[in-house]
Amino acid sequence: MANLEAKSYMSTWQLAIVIFVTCVGAQVMLTPRSLITKAEHGAGLSVIVGGVLFYSAVCMMLKLAKEYPDETFVEYAPRLFGKAGGSIVVFLFNLLFFFQVIQIFSGVGKIITFYMFDQTPPEVVILALLVVCAYCALQDWGTILRLQQFMFLIAYSILIMVWMSSILNFQPENLLPLWPVNIKAVISSGFSTWNMYSGYECVLLLMPLVYRQASLNSLIAIIGGSFGCLTIIFLMITVIIIGVLTVEAAKNLLYPALIVIRSVELPGTFIERLENYLLLAWIPVVFDTLAAMMYFMGEICMRYWRHADHRPWVLFLLPIIYISSVFLDNQQLYDRVSMFTTWIGLLFSFGVIPASLVLSWRQKRKAGTSCD
Amino acid sequence: MLIDMDPLVLGKWCKRGIGCALIVIISICLGGCWDREELQERRFVLAIAIDKAEEGVRPDQEKITQVENFYQPHGNKLYRLSLQLLQLAPSQGSESGQRGKTSTSLISTTGQSMTEMLQDMLGQSDKDLWFEHVQTVVISEEAIRQGGLQPITDYLLRSQHIRWLTKVLITSGEARAILEYKPPSGEPSGMFIADSLDMYRKNPHVPGWHTDVGSIAESHDNKQRVLMARIELADDIIKLGGMAILKDGKLIGYVDEYATQGGKFLSGIEKSAIITFECPDSPGKITAFELFSHETSLTPRVEGDNIYYILDIKMRGNIGEMQCGIEHHVVEDHQLHKLEELVAEAVKKNILYSFHTYQNLKVDASVFGQKLQAYEPLMWEKVKDRWDDEVFPTIPLIVSVNVVIENVGAHK
Repeated sequence: MANLEAKSYMSTWQLAIVIFVTCVGAQVMLTPRSLITKAEHGAGLSVIVGGVLFYSAVCMMLKLAKEYPDETFVEYAPRLFGKAGGSIVVFLFNLLFFFQVIQIFSGVGKIITFYMFDQTPPEVVILALLVVCAYCALQDWGTILRLQQFMFLIAYSILIMVWMSSILNFQPENLLPLWPVNIKAVISSGFSTWNMYSGYECVLLLMPLVYRQASLNSLIAIIGGSFGCLTIIFLMITVIIIGVLTVEAAKNLLYPALIVIRSVELPGTFIERLENYLLLAWIPVVFDTLAAMMYFMGEICMRYWRHADHRPWVLFLLPIIYISSVFLDNQQLYDRVSMFTTWIGLLFSFGVIPASLVLSWRQKRKAGTSCD
Repeated sequence: MLIDMDPLVLGKWCKRGIGCALIVIISICLGGCWDREELQERRFVLAIAIDKAEEGVRPDQEKITQVENFYQPHGNKLYRLSLQLLQLAPSQGSESGQRGKTSTSLISTTGQSMTEMLQDMLGQSDKDLWFEHVQTVVISEEAIRQGGLQPITDYLLRSQHIRWLTKVLITSGEARAILEYKPPSGEPSGMFIADSLDMYRKNPHVPGWHTDVGSIAESHDNKQRVLMARIELADDIIKLGGMAILKDGKLIGYVDEYATQGGKFLSGIEKSAIITFECPDSPGKITAFELFSHETSLTPRVEGDNIYYILDIKMRGNIGEMQCGIEHHVVEDHQLHKLEELVAEAVKKNILYSFHTYQNLKVDASVFGQKLQAYEPLMWEKVKDRWDDEVFPTIPLIVSVNVVIENVGAHK
């Protein structure tokens, strides 16, 4: 196949869109229950705390990537951490995407079979989605980028519009009391919102396509806009869930973000069971997140093993992803994997990245001293 | 011949062959036929009735109930579950009553687990039972008194098929009999009841708003009261009016239509109502105010350890009826103001009647506790454990009603 869609550059706005689209995925439906269970009425504050925390992590990643303009994290990590250390860090980087992808496949399979196709085994739904996502991930970045831009305009607007209909049942008093809140729970839940914001790590792979287009400050500002939008969307969903269902009811529901729309009665229309419409609008959103993450996994493997094509790696990973997703059918196991992934994500963002920055500065200072 | 072919060409053909095989296999697996069920293969359930197992069974029906029964490995025969099924092709003459045609049939069974009973009921149906269009669930008082609300509604809350807008009602009599009722319009009784309850905005005597499956789930999770609209059947007359209040799954009591209306004024969900009062100068004569819109604000106040509430209501409407005749010349402003004061007094009386009914039942059927939790969380933490039993029955309510009469009707 001729490589007509190879991409050697992209604009900062395109990077901002990619971050937004990759972050707003399946977890927007799967995560709110655990967040509200922990932070209760302060869940909205946790979302804001999470937004600030992970934006600071992205800023560090941008700064690090600017130090190595023509390389991705996969290429310069071995130089920073040594061959073995670098391999571990790159493995961790890929593991992040892998665990997210299998959780998303498993969660989506369960939701769709439970609410839409109850006779269909989740394995079949996962397989169908995997085939479609793999087809997309096998394309080059130009095609995936175009798809993400298209989804950004179409799928998200439909999803938000359907979600907003739950405002008809919104009771502002359910949000109260805003004070006093459990500060400790709010901050710890802020960290656990990583599941919602995760996906921003892709900047470490995409920066070589962008760095020539803008300065670090403008990148930080534009990605800040992307994170602002993410925070607003996550905050809106959390507030709507609590405002419609109350904190106590949201705790007892497996997918409150979906059920929030179940009691909506649109006056004067024949449309019923709005949760199915929400699911239909959500599937494209899940698809583009998964396709991008599978592409990133293939790209990391390709760069690490110094191959020319990411496609064999995507195909190689397919059975591993499928089997792992299918084995994640137990809710307790799912919760454990989710917690483990969050810890890896936090370790990567607030352990590996700051350490990389420090090592990078040290190496550059050393190099400067030896030149003198 | 294949042996003579270039290995590259062979590889190409192999790849294509594998690709085609994969496409065929994936297409067969993902063809979307797993959940295929044609419309004519479904039996739509329109209403569910839940009674105590032996409730309403006449001696001549004993043989029927034996056939409806099934062997149950665990539990007891506690409930009788009845389903109203829609017949897409009405059977000839079977359902043609004198008052109109209904294309429904009714099946029942007894048991303890709702899902087990539903499974057994497939033995009385030729098609798969479909619960996505259930309009109404009627539960008998005896069934609730027997084991509480939780065992009955658990299935409704867990099922992904039952809609959260499905109305749940209570009756003091037999629930199955309500499903057997044939409305004059000829439509199935399950739909008739749901449509009638849907007019709760215009009918102040039914609670409506908080009486669906979703509200029961929310009340259950928040450990609040559950409200259920009351329905009664006598001979050939069916009537919705008043409501039942349940707490912790147990029936606390019924409240009448007047208290239901007052409760809706308290919550601010009433959109239309008739408020009547006696003409002061003509005892026995009635004037009726027709409510069009109102705004309600309920505020908790805490002074030291004392809690009280202030209720502000603004109402707008017309004079709908005036039996006092010429004694109130309503065009004059001072007479209008006098009427407005009389309406306000009647509303206040209605609200306090409702409020004191709840206090006597020792159950916060409105949103008093919720307001305290929202606006005075520290005080709520102090009193929440003894709210219904000790605190709520003693708290004062200060009511202020402001009424504006916008019109006096087409003829004065």
